Amino acid sequence: MDTIHKEVVAFQHVSKVFNNETVALKDFDLSIKEGEFLSFLGPSGCGKSTALRMVAGLGEATKGSVKVFDGSPKEIIKETNDLAFVFQDANLLPWRTVLDNVLLPLELRGGNKKKHKQEAIRVLEMVGLKEYLKSYPRQLSGGMKMRVSIARALAAKPKMLLMDEPFGALDEITRQTLQMELLDIWQKENMTILFVTHNVYEAVFLSTRIAVMSASPGRLSSLIDVKLPFPRRLKVRTEQEFTDYVDIASDRLENGNERKELA
Amino acid sequence: MSMPSVEVTKTRDLLTKTSEKPKSKSFNKFKQVYLGPIIAFTIFIAIWQAVPTILDLKHYILPKPTDVVGAAISDWHLLWPAVQITVVESLVGFLVSAVIGILVSIILASSKILERSIYPYAIVLQTIPVVAVAPIVVIWFGAGYNSIVVISFLIGFFPVISNTLMGLNSVDKNMDDLFLLYNASKWQRMWKLRIPSALPYMMAGLKISCTLSIVGAIVGEYIAGIGGGKGGLGYSITVAAIQVKTSYLFACGIAAAILGIGFYLLVSLFANSMLKSWHESAVKGEK
Ligand SMILES: Nc1ncnc2c1ncn2[C@@H]1O[C@H](COP(=O)(O)OP(=O)(O)O)[C@@H](O)[C@H]1O
Ligand SMILES: [Mg+2]
Repeated sequence: MDTIHKEVVAFQHVSKVFNNETVALKDFDLSIKEGEFLSFLGPSGCGKSTALRMVAGLGEATKGSVKVFDGSPKEIIKETNDLAFVFQDANLLPWRTVLDNVLLPLELRGGNKKKHKQEAIRVLEMVGLKEYLKSYPRQLSGGMKMRVSIARALAAKPKMLLMDEPFGALDEITRQTLQMELLDIWQKENMTILFVTHNVYEAVFLSTRIAVMSASPGRLSSLIDVKLPFPRRLKVRTEQEFTDYVDIASDRLENGNERKELA
Repeated sequence: MSMPSVEVTKTRDLLTKTSEKPKSKSFNKFKQVYLGPIIAFTIFIAIWQAVPTILDLKHYILPKPTDVVGAAISDWHLLWPAVQITVVESLVGFLVSAVIGILVSIILASSKILERSIYPYAIVLQTIPVVAVAPIVVIWFGAGYNSIVVISFLIGFFPVISNTLMGLNSVDKNMDDLFLLYNASKWQRMWKLRIPSALPYMMAGLKISCTLSIVGAIVGEYIAGIGGGKGGLGYSITVAAIQVKTSYLFACGIAAAILGIGFYLLVSLFANSMLKSWHESAVKGEK
């Protein structure tokens, strides 16, 4: 994954102030390359969601600019299927079946219905839910709902997946399974993934790079390249190298946020 | 990549469990749910039967249940057409308030400017007692059927509009973002997100409106009369009161009550079938 890749996201001196008082981001500078799996890691309230949402055009920078695929996020959203967003709660429409939920993005873009259905079934197969096409969200467990949500995001074949603490509400076992599945999907579909988490282990396990953030005001405090080889399986977590990365990330997290407390 | 098997079996269990109903429990359910009300009803009727006899009240002051049933049977040829007329009036009034209420809500909700400028007046209008404006309705629409339907519509209309509008504006923020991200047009958002989201609210509005439409029809008959044709329950009630046919008056009142309950149950049934694919308990919960 370490070949020369073009830049797909550029935060340039981005600041974001809410209601003229809450400084959610301050002078945030980051360049993300194609094919990366980049995690935003930081304590609650440090502006992770704010940063991620800006990439999707949900909210604009107060100062500075965010570029995606060399364009403005709003343009990209309007003109292409290149971006998909996965929210923390699966965010499924309760009146639609699993299949119809996954079809939603395709339906909204218009086009050939038969092709859409094939595509929806393909992604549902990928997340292991092919037998649940006709189920309603309320009949599914939390993990399955999140799978549907991921399938929906993949349905329109995005080039970049933005995920805001997607596994935050799941139990540990389900979370670990989904983490591995996500890595498989990432490799198979050749995507760039931006992933928000406040879980150090999750960040190390998934990422090629971690952007450690600190709070009030939200800043980028350091970047960590995670050079663990892929595919990463469960037992990676017990290896020394993994633990070392967890230590580094935890340290940086702590320092970044101590510095703020002193200041 | 496959599902962890634990998860799969769990959900299957859940699905099968809900579909089987143990029969031995149905009697228990009967005891718990229906037995109490039935006993209370019987006792109530018994006391009602006894009180006029003990206090020696005349039947035109407080008729006994048997008097009421007697009056209903002997004047059935009057009661039954009256019921039918009221059913038609309130049904038409209800349907018009449902259709217009929902349409107006959708139009208002489709434009923030429209909603902001018109909705306050809708609230003000809602607080005007319809009984007070009913005579104006009669002047405009003439005595009889048309006015009665309009009054029934006016009473049933506002609950539909206020509930539907509330529903259309209660869309989850994340869902809204999702549609934004998929570049959905305003009308796609309306049809695929806002209206389905509003469905539970709409149904709640319809449930309120359906009983009110009967009130509207009866009040309408009090005020708008019968305009030449045959009268409904409201008219029968007025006439029975003038003639001091108290037993028949009671029969009319009870008929109106049964009508209201029946109407409510029907609309509830419709509402439940509309919301079935939604979710049972979770109109907003399940998070
Ligand atoms: N829409 C908003 N209006 C006002 N303040 C907001 C809004 N969204 C986020 N904030 C504030 O900005 C800061 C960063 O929020 P957020 O990006 O959600 O943090 P994180 O995702 O890291 O927990 C918080 O202090 C939060 O209260
Ligand atoms: Mg957040």
